[in-house]
Amino acid sequence: MKPASFTYHRPGSVAEALKILARYGEGAKLLAGGQSLGPMLNMRLARPEHLVDLNDLIELDYVREVSGMIEIGALTRHHRLASSAELKWSCPLLSQAAATIGHYAIRQRGTVAGSLVHADPAAQIPLIAVTLGAEVVVQSSKGSRVVPAADFLQSIMTVDLKEAEMVTGLRFPMQGPDEGWAFEIFSRRHGDFAMASVAATLSLDGSGVLSALRLGLGGVGPVPLRMQEIEAGALGAVLDDALIKRLARQAADAIEPEEDALVPAVFRKELIETLTARALRHAVSKTGRVQ
Amino acid sequence: MTGDTTFSHIGKPLLRREDRRFLTGRGRYLDDIVLPGTLHVCFVRSPHAHARIIGIDAEEARALPGVIGVFTGRDLAEWTAPLRLAPPIEGLHPVEMTTLPIHKVRFHGDPVACVVAADRYIAEDAAELVSVDYEVLDAVVSADAALSQGAVLVDDSLPDNLVSHQSFSSGDVAARRAEADRTVEAKFQLHRHTHVPLETRGCMADWDAGREHLTMHIGTQVPHPLRSQLAARLRLEETAVTVISPDVGGGFGQKIALYREELTVAALSRHLRRPVRWREDRLENLTSASHARETLCRTRTSVRADGRILGLELELTEDFGAYCFYPANYMARVIAMILTGPYRISDYAFDVKVVLTNKCGNGPMRAPMAITSWVMDGTIDAVARELGLDPLEVRRINALRQQDLPFTMPTGEVLEDVTPLETLEAAAKAIDVEDFRARQAQAREQGRYLGLGICTVVESTTYGSEFYKAAGIPGSGHEAAWVRIEPSGAVNASVGLMGTGQGYETPLAQAVAEGLGVPPEVVKVHMGNTDIAPYGMGSRGGRGATAGGGTLFLCAQKAQKHVLEIAVGMLNLNDARGLRLKDGIVERMIDGAWVDTGISLADVARRAYLDPTALPEGVSPGLDISYTYDPPPMTYSNATHVCEVEVEADTGRVSIARYIVAEDCGTVLNPLVVRGQQQGAVAMGLSGALFEEVVYDESGQNLTATLADYLVATSCELPSIEIIEMNTPNKRTPAGIKGMAEGGIMGAIGSIANAVNDALEPFGVALEKLPLTPQSLRALMREKDQVTETVTEVRTGKE
Amino acid sequence: MTTAEAKSVSIVVNDETYDLMLDPRRLLSDVLREDLHLTGTHVGCEHGVCGACTILIDGRPARACLTFAVQMEGHEVTTIEAVSDGAELTPLQQALHQEHGLQCGFCTAGIIMTFEAYLQENPDPSEAEIRDVLSGNLCRCTGYQNIVSAVSKAAAVMRERGRE
Repeated sequence: MKPASFTYHRPGSVAEALKILARYGEGAKLLAGGQSLGPMLNMRLARPEHLVDLNDLIELDYVREVSGMIEIGALTRHHRLASSAELKWSCPLLSQAAATIGHYAIRQRGTVAGSLVHADPAAQIPLIAVTLGAEVVVQSSKGSRVVPAADFLQSIMTVDLKEAEMVTGLRFPMQGPDEGWAFEIFSRRHGDFAMASVAATLSLDGSGVLSALRLGLGGVGPVPLRMQEIEAGALGAVLDDALIKRLARQAADAIEPEEDALVPAVFRKELIETLTARALRHAVSKTGRVQ
Repeated sequence: MTGDTTFSHIGKPLLRREDRRFLTGRGRYLDDIVLPGTLHVCFVRSPHAHARIIGIDAEEARALPGVIGVFTGRDLAEWTAPLRLAPPIEGLHPVEMTTLPIHKVRFHGDPVACVVAADRYIAEDAAELVSVDYEVLDAVVSADAALSQGAVLVDDSLPDNLVSHQSFSSGDVAARRAEADRTVEAKFQLHRHTHVPLETRGCMADWDAGREHLTMHIGTQVPHPLRSQLAARLRLEETAVTVISPDVGGGFGQKIALYREELTVAALSRHLRRPVRWREDRLENLTSASHARETLCRTRTSVRADGRILGLELELTEDFGAYCFYPANYMARVIAMILTGPYRISDYAFDVKVVLTNKCGNGPMRAPMAITSWVMDGTIDAVARELGLDPLEVRRINALRQQDLPFTMPTGEVLEDVTPLETLEAAAKAIDVEDFRARQAQAREQGRYLGLGICTVVESTTYGSEFYKAAGIPGSGHEAAWVRIEPSGAVNASVGLMGTGQGYETPLAQAVAEGLGVPPEVVKVHMGNTDIAPYGMGSRGGRGATAGGGTLFLCAQKAQKHVLEIAVGMLNLNDARGLRLKDGIVERMIDGAWVDTGISLADVARRAYLDPTALPEGVSPGLDISYTYDPPPMTYSNATHVCEVEVEADTGRVSIARYIVAEDCGTVLNPLVVRGQQQGAVAMGLSGALFEEVVYDESGQNLTATLADYLVATSCELPSIEIIEMNTPNKRTPAGIKGMAEGGIMGAIGSIANAVNDALEPFGVALEKLPLTPQSLRALMREKDQVTETVTEVRTGKE
Repeated sequence: MTTAEAKSVSIVVNDETYDLMLDPRRLLSDVLREDLHLTGTHVGCEHGVCGACTILIDGRPARACLTFAVQMEGHEVTTIEAVSDGAELTPLQQALHQEHGLQCGFCTAGIIMTFEAYLQENPDPSEAEIRDVLSGNLCRCTGYQNIVSAVSKAAAVMRERGRE
């Protein structure tokens, strides 16, 4: 389990990294935290000619609030997301989900953009990005563009990243102070990728009527799924236990997980139903946290 | 051989002396040993489950800078002898294998060629360039498929894939069936496991062309038997091979056999006249080292209406994989022999089949008989379910009592000094079964499913030579030791065991200290080097304490006798009566009290080595004592495990609320080390029952080649384990030692499976198959459509 | 196949600077063990799961098997060999000894490195927090129970020392 040979590059700036990318095109692979790419290199499942180490780009390691959005630099480590007091307030769903990624040592190295670009449909960052409607900032030497996360993630391990482009940051909407939220994950062992996961945010008006809802499902399709139809159908109703059960059932009905020799599709549907109900209940319990 | 149960050093929880080096990163494992000029190998492995090797083209690989050579089965066949296993056992086919396959590969991961290069990176580069032309054959990937009419042969030299088949009957099971009130059938399917020592396999062979001597550095549980194998396969004298085992990062049974890769490396070192090393990577370890278990058992039990078992019949089929590194009947036979364990059963019959398939070969894994206690106590639970009886009562009515001992099991095994009913009562009391049932009933009303599982274990620990003889397996159960008191009074000792993490250095020093009469701190026990240690049978099963500790204890007693004989002369006495060595000082009994004679062990040693003419008549110089000891045919420890679980109805997740073991393993050398073994064994059993599974797809591809796929339990999945210690000494062993360390696996598998069944009782289902994955438990619950309204309600509704 | 050229790299390990010529693909775990002879860092899986090779990079735990040694130019690496300086074991090492928190010892260095860092960040962890962090290190011998109690004990000793 030793990687194949590669030429190592260590750009000192984003501009330099983009220049290297432009020069080597598809032969170049970006290395951030290396927690997903590392095993693939060691097993020779990935064998780039050029490995471009981004770890010197400390300018991409930030969490900051800019006009109502939380901007997160591409190289920000999961541990920072999980432990940032600021994020626990402004985007607690992301913070909580990040705290469940892999294990403590993995979170010290793994980066937010690395996880997004790796695009494992069972991973936390893609699910939260899709659920919250995050934007992805993509840059090349020719300029930058902003892509909604749901469009950026195209399929399993496939993203909207053209040759010589890199992700430099993500923008998450701030969560409202009275918004409820929850992240539910079911995995075989602590720290494993999700067999199914659910993220939700919601707002209730004074009489318990649902005024806003976001519902995202992970691990049950080629990309994380935002349940927009279910969300729209639920608005305006009182979010009682009957509605929670109905929404959970709708979520399970809306997905078509792949039949897998080890994990039958029906089991993933059951999990989604259970986790959705749990997520909605937990989210309700967290609404109105400012009061 | 016992009697004296008041020990000075045996039984003390001394902290382990090996800890310090491990805690500071100064342990010395195989890969930490460096020899200049060492070459590295990488094996080219079969991507197919079953294929004919048409040709191997290694030209491109050989041309790569840094590559020394690429070698195949044909090369190795010239330099080494094949392995032939043909013990005279009825129903067991003799088998033979070459060092590397020549004509065909038999499983996904089978080695076909070996690349030798300057380092592992280059070796892997070159291995990719070796092109093997295969003709893919059909593969048999289940025992059923392997036994079906016209199945392809895994081993072309055999008439069929049924490599071993034995039957046995004692008493009259047919008559018992006829007179029984009920016959209860049950099925138990234990899946394929693998050992996963944190340190993978590997070795470094160093051929000394001048001395024509091979030094094999390898983490092994059995240095001497390995040396015998290596010498024979390399066609060398046993004087020309030294095996040195450094610190070993776990074995669990995977480091016993001489594997084909290791023999290849040794042969290549001799061929190339260079040190050659192999570092097995984790992918190789998971796919190609050794697998274990995958056993299907069916029982048919004839019972009276009150739950008393009249007769028991067992059908067992083991999926053994593609190659026999051990006689194929070896593991399965032990299961069948000790199945009845804690219970008074005399009418018993078994039928045991072992089948070759296109998977990695099986070997013993911590508790080769792992399934036994699940089968027996799961059968008891099936009887209780069928008859509507309390499972605890069914155990009580069948359990062996003290007045039944010694008890000859139907297979002829004799149980003595065991306490299965006592451990059962102790464990049941500790968990408070009545209180649990009340909590269980209350929880069910809230839609929560608690379960309690009980499993009583009788663990075969130390296999004496007589057992092997009776089983028809060539081999010995004896062990050898020496104790040497050096001129300074320092005590060196050695034994044929080799630890793989158990912490032998401390308890074995305690055994020597006890026998000799010195503080344990002055004793150093040397293991793992075949030029230093005496020829012993190594570490396997639960023999370490009884065979290893027992032999050292007896050897040290003999050494004390020798010391006292010399002291007799120094004290001008007639004989050694009334003398003893205590804490390194010769003491004399005067007026009923032990008195310091002023002579120390160092004084005696000085005379023995430096002033031998002053020794008493007939006492030989030096203090170098050897001893060999053959334990009784078999020693047994026993335990009862009680496990409380909750099964989450809507996800199938199992969580363990409480885990208690009442264990009687006789005299223990060091309770700290024993507790560590008990906890570790239970943990491994639970991990296997809940998470681990080697999975092959229909074409024989191994789908669990990484540790992200072969799931070993983490700290978040395992409970703390409460242990109730019981210590009934074995009357027939030195110091009353029994041994342990595998029973924890047996009890864990049985108790958690029984607990989950208890939890699922309201669903009207009973599991027959492990592992207890959430998806498999959900499938069980889903299958039964007669699930009550409340259950459905719970699944989709409130938590 | 491309053979990359060896790169000149200067890395600081346990406060010592090493100037090395390295094939960039060489894993930090291999370079520590083979070039610097720091064999206390063990290699258990080479895909980041088992945690045996956990070391500190700039004081934070990381898998040495998922790191290339060339990446460490400009960073400080700490391995198990630097944890106890001289004769005295750290409270964590001492507690692991007293609680019988290790058997074969192969996973031990990775566990110590993880918790030497973690206990700086969280000096008073609950059992659940300890188990959460420990879940990144596989141990096949102990069942984790004694490791958990050792970490708890070490944390208490360290807090006590901090107060003195």
